[in-house]
Amino acid sequence: MTADTSSDLRRKSRQLIKLIRPLLGGIVGLFLVYRLYIVLIVEHPYGPDTWTRLLIAGLILGGVYSLVAIGYTLVYGILFMINFAHGEVMMIGAFSGYFVFEALNAIKIQDSNFLNTYAYFSVLIAFIVGMTVSALTGYFLEKIAYRPLRKAPRLVPLISAIGASIFLQNAVELLFSPQLRNYTNPTFLTRGAGWTININHSNVIIPYTGVFSFVLSAVLLIILYTIVRKTRLGRAMRAVALDKKTAALMGVDVDSTISKTFILSGALAGAAGVMWGIHNGLVYYYTGFIPGIKAFTAAVLGGIGNLPGAMLGGMFLGIVESMGPAALGIDFQLKDVLAFVILIVVLIFKPSGLLGESLAEEKV
Amino acid sequence: MKKAALRQSFNTGIIFGIAHIFCVLIAFNAMLGSLLVKIVGIKSSATTPLASALIAYAVLLGLWAGITAARRKREASGKERLQASLITGFSVGLMAALLVAVFQVLLSDKINPRDYLTNLSFPFMRACLFQLGAFLGIAANFLIFFLSSFLGGLFVFIWNLPAVTSAWHKAFSAPKVWIAKLRGETGKQRRITNIIFYALLFAVIAILPIEWGSYWNYVMGTVGLYVILGLGLNIIVGLSGQLVLGYIAFFAIGAYTMALLNAPEPHNWMWGFWPALILAVILAALSGLIIGLPLMRLRGDYLAIVTLGFGEIIRILLKSDVLTSFTGGPRGIQDIHGPTLFGKPFNDIDYMYLIILAVILAIYIYNRLQHSRTGRAWLAVREDETVARATGVDTQRYKLLALMIGAAFAGLAGAIYASRNAFTGPDEHSLMASINVLCLIIVGGMGNIPGTLLGAFALKGLPEILREVENYRMLVFGALLVAMMIIRPEGLIPSQRPTLELPEDSPNPNPPDLAVRSEAKPTGEDPHDR
Amino acid sequence: MNKFLKPVFVLCIAAFLFAGCAPAATPAPTAAATEAATAAAPTVASTTAAAPEAVCASDPFGCASFAPGTTVKIGMGAPMTGGNASYGIDISQGATIAVADAGDVHGWKFELDAEDDQGNAEGGAAVANKFASDPSIVAVAGHIFSGATAAAVPIYEKVGIPMLSPSATNPALTTTGSKVFNRIAFTDTNQGSAAADYLFNTLKVKNLALVHDGSDYGKGLADIVGAQFTKDGGAVVVEQAITPGETDYTAVLSAVASKSPDALFFGGYTAEGAIICNQMKQTGLDKAIFFGDDGTYGADFLTRTGANGEGAYASIAPASPDSAAKDAFNTAYLDQFGKAPGTLSPYTWAGYDAAAALASVVKTVAFVGSDGKLYVPRTALVTAVRNLKGYVGLSGTFTCQSNGECNVDKPQFVVVKSGAWVPAQQ
Repeated sequence: MTADTSSDLRRKSRQLIKLIRPLLGGIVGLFLVYRLYIVLIVEHPYGPDTWTRLLIAGLILGGVYSLVAIGYTLVYGILFMINFAHGEVMMIGAFSGYFVFEALNAIKIQDSNFLNTYAYFSVLIAFIVGMTVSALTGYFLEKIAYRPLRKAPRLVPLISAIGASIFLQNAVELLFSPQLRNYTNPTFLTRGAGWTININHSNVIIPYTGVFSFVLSAVLLIILYTIVRKTRLGRAMRAVALDKKTAALMGVDVDSTISKTFILSGALAGAAGVMWGIHNGLVYYYTGFIPGIKAFTAAVLGGIGNLPGAMLGGMFLGIVESMGPAALGIDFQLKDVLAFVILIVVLIFKPSGLLGESLAEEKV
Repeated sequence: MKKAALRQSFNTGIIFGIAHIFCVLIAFNAMLGSLLVKIVGIKSSATTPLASALIAYAVLLGLWAGITAARRKREASGKERLQASLITGFSVGLMAALLVAVFQVLLSDKINPRDYLTNLSFPFMRACLFQLGAFLGIAANFLIFFLSSFLGGLFVFIWNLPAVTSAWHKAFSAPKVWIAKLRGETGKQRRITNIIFYALLFAVIAILPIEWGSYWNYVMGTVGLYVILGLGLNIIVGLSGQLVLGYIAFFAIGAYTMALLNAPEPHNWMWGFWPALILAVILAALSGLIIGLPLMRLRGDYLAIVTLGFGEIIRILLKSDVLTSFTGGPRGIQDIHGPTLFGKPFNDIDYMYLIILAVILAIYIYNRLQHSRTGRAWLAVREDETVARATGVDTQRYKLLALMIGAAFAGLAGAIYASRNAFTGPDEHSLMASINVLCLIIVGGMGNIPGTLLGAFALKGLPEILREVENYRMLVFGALLVAMMIIRPEGLIPSQRPTLELPEDSPNPNPPDLAVRSEAKPTGEDPHDR
Repeated sequence: MNKFLKPVFVLCIAAFLFAGCAPAATPAPTAAATEAATAAAPTVASTTAAAPEAVCASDPFGCASFAPGTTVKIGMGAPMTGGNASYGIDISQGATIAVADAGDVHGWKFELDAEDDQGNAEGGAAVANKFASDPSIVAVAGHIFSGATAAAVPIYEKVGIPMLSPSATNPALTTTGSKVFNRIAFTDTNQGSAAADYLFNTLKVKNLALVHDGSDYGKGLADIVGAQFTKDGGAVVVEQAITPGETDYTAVLSAVASKSPDALFFGGYTAEGAIICNQMKQTGLDKAIFFGDDGTYGADFLTRTGANGEGAYASIAPASPDSAAKDAFNTAYLDQFGKAPGTLSPYTWAGYDAAAALASVVKTVAFVGSDGKLYVPRTALVTAVRNLKGYVGLSGTFTCQSNGECNVDKPQFVVVKSGAWVPAQQ
């Protein structure tokens, strides 16, 4: 009889536990909706000009997050490892861009300098250099820290990645000192300047650097998507992601494909780094850490291993961070809390992320 | 010499050359050199190092390059080895010479790269040229690397001479025999040696805290707390296979519980040490339950990011304005009162004993759990959750249990930590701390007690010992982590699968490959082969 | 357990014991210095010819004794690695110059021992314990971050090592009744209330926005300013916190702008302050005045904000003029470390002052005993540091109160005009 009651109890408790998930999600969801209602309908603390500004900030941030998140997702889709050092790869790209701008700024041409005379060209050079250096970093990172660990259990490359991240951070700090470096932008990309539109008797500025970041992110994402869908390399990547052994049997050079994936993800991170520098202006050895974590969150939010998912996750995270606290009437200091709570809620209802997993499957 | 071998040696040299350039740019050569000459009593500064220090560093690096080159091929002849080391020495020397040639150009043109590469001050660059003139300095650089590389090759050459090899084997096997003899042959002898060993250990542990001063009490106390943390995380990650990245959140909950209940500042609820300790453990376990319940369906890496998020949430909330009146905000909580022994407050020795007791308790609980039904259930869940569920193991319950017990361990450690420091603040419970504990258990060897102990020593004791290398501490630490994982991925002390011991044969202490495979796999379906 | 494990274990423990039992770092005596010391000793004038035993016996914490040729060490706990490394490295470099400038005490040289405490309590306590067990450390110029300092104070209290912190600003640190803790950092209470009064009375600001970086220092200041401003009669229309280490605060600033404040008070450091100043225009705060604190003052702020910084305010310690001593220090720092002081953190000069002040106090209490050794009575040193009066440093003039606050001056306000900091209207 005791067996009966105990198994009864167990069944009841399991039913209860099954309810907890939707219950919790429902509570949080209701709370969020309630707060939204209070802020948007009842209180009106912000005018449309503020909302526009918040949206602009969110889109720009989202663009950068998407770019870095894609790098995470690419690597995860192929190797099932969390590349903790990705943020540092981005930071190295940002530093490279900084040095290029400094060098070009120093070259004097007539009244001005190279940077401002050939502004577009300078920016192009900065991006090329930044992306190349980051791509190389990604390549060597894979070769030194991850390739020997291909057969090891999952946690070992993770620790190796953490070690690589710490090493890169400190290497940059020791080489270039912990001083925060300031980006000297060419004049057409001066930070803070932009197109002005008048909303609600207030000037809303759409910053040049912001638009530049957003457009560039979109362009790079489209290029990447094309590469993955249409080219041979992309096919090889998807094949390796689906089944490494069979791909090898089909004649795909697995090692080379993985290296190229890292090069690609590194290049994207490098572009994100230079963009970060141009828009935000501040780079130092610790710059990559927080965007790295955020990008990882974004990638997971969208469904890790899923390219459109990473893009969606990045934009979503950017907008939540910028507009979320305002929309819910909470302190901006808690924006990360909000982001993670939303992540948890999403994962409760959709455990494999917003768009599900898999690099290889045919998606939207 | 064959072309391929030639190219390989040359490449080895290039790699060492790049490493050398990196070391010079971060002034690692000066630091390492000054360490080396400190042994013989010469003092060398970091910004204007002595030539002798830099020469010592160069010789060391050259030797290493030569040895690596000569050992590339297992069955190379003596002559090939020497040739390899010569080629490598040539390329390393070439790169070193190029570097100082650049320095010379900068010096003579008075270009100061210090704004960007902070270590390259003029005195430093001159020192890298060994304070000799242009050509002498460059030539000296080349020669030192070339010659010491050759020396390294010579060393390997001599090492591989048959006479030397056999002498070494004879010398090496003796200690093994000796240790086996010491342990004893029969069961009774082994038991006696066991008893003696544990008695000695106990005596040492009992006396040490009094003897070795408050600094080592503090450091070893921290190591002990990290052992408890490591054991707790091992339950979650090592035994039951759930990757959790925000483990420090439970530590923070334990610390803040103890702090809030024992400090005059935010609330002045003076509950006393022991009730607060118990409550801390309970609250931590409860939060493990709360975070675990909604997330049981999540697969490996998703759980990781969610727990990371949870850790960050706790930290940000503790620091936030909104909750400052409750938690003390960014200021933290000061003046936490500790326990009293017969009226006297605890001093560092008492805390050390307390920590030792807590560690023993944790080890005991861990050991019992590991060898119990629960432990076997965890093992099943870790290996393959679907199969475990199919064979009737209630995976949800056991996963939650693992999370709760692991959290309880962290709560205990956190409470003692806050009490000992008499202060706690939100900045201590950062993501890096969680990552530290994870590194600890993986470097030490996941899933087993001696591994955790060794890992805690290594990870917490090592930076203290590494204080010698000051600013390069974290750099060396990161490099060591990567190296450690590549050289020995199963950890310092690999985990053993429980094996069936048959009466006559003795068990194989290091089953091939099983130790590596005994790690966590992602649960759920895994069509992707690795 | 593995067969070889136990001996390995024993060996490991033995290794740690060995390392632990190794004597605390005592630098090797050099013969030349011995000669100089013994030659210098008889020429030293007044020094209490009292037998060292008598003085030291009457001193509750005893004396630190130094054989000829050894160095007198001043410790410092600072974050040398991690995200805040720039502060630790900068301040320790300033202190290194101070220790070199301090010369010698009766022939014994000073030495700075800067250790990494990572800016948190665990590191702070570890470093404090290390210093407490090192008999050649007589004083500590630190620690740098309040968290580390809070954990370290009780440890130093037990062995009688006086502290003089250049930057630990948590008000609670001086309310615990500690005898050893002193600081030359600005008292936030003074700085905050003076700033609030200035904003209301002189700048005629009616609506104030408070922004801080969530740190102990920033939030503390912002709270004090808010309280005083409200008391004066003004209105705090919005209070927001930013997350330090990030670079895009347009969202927060937009929310702040929606309340149309006349001025924005920022509690925090240069990095974030400069970003906020830069982003104020594009977020609708172009008409608001940016009012910083002593953490945002410096050449670094000017470089980062450029034209956007025009009209930004900050507070500085009074009487920190561009004196000859300061110029000499600036040149020496640039020469030795390749960067201008103030680029890595705003506390370079305070770091110099802390170490220099401690060295000068040590010089007043140390004496050479009849046996030729240098003695520093610890309690006397603690009291002497607490009794510091009118010490003129590079970052201010210090007189220590009975609670350990040595910088109770009211701040001076400066404003950016044409790309330089000039004194603001009174």
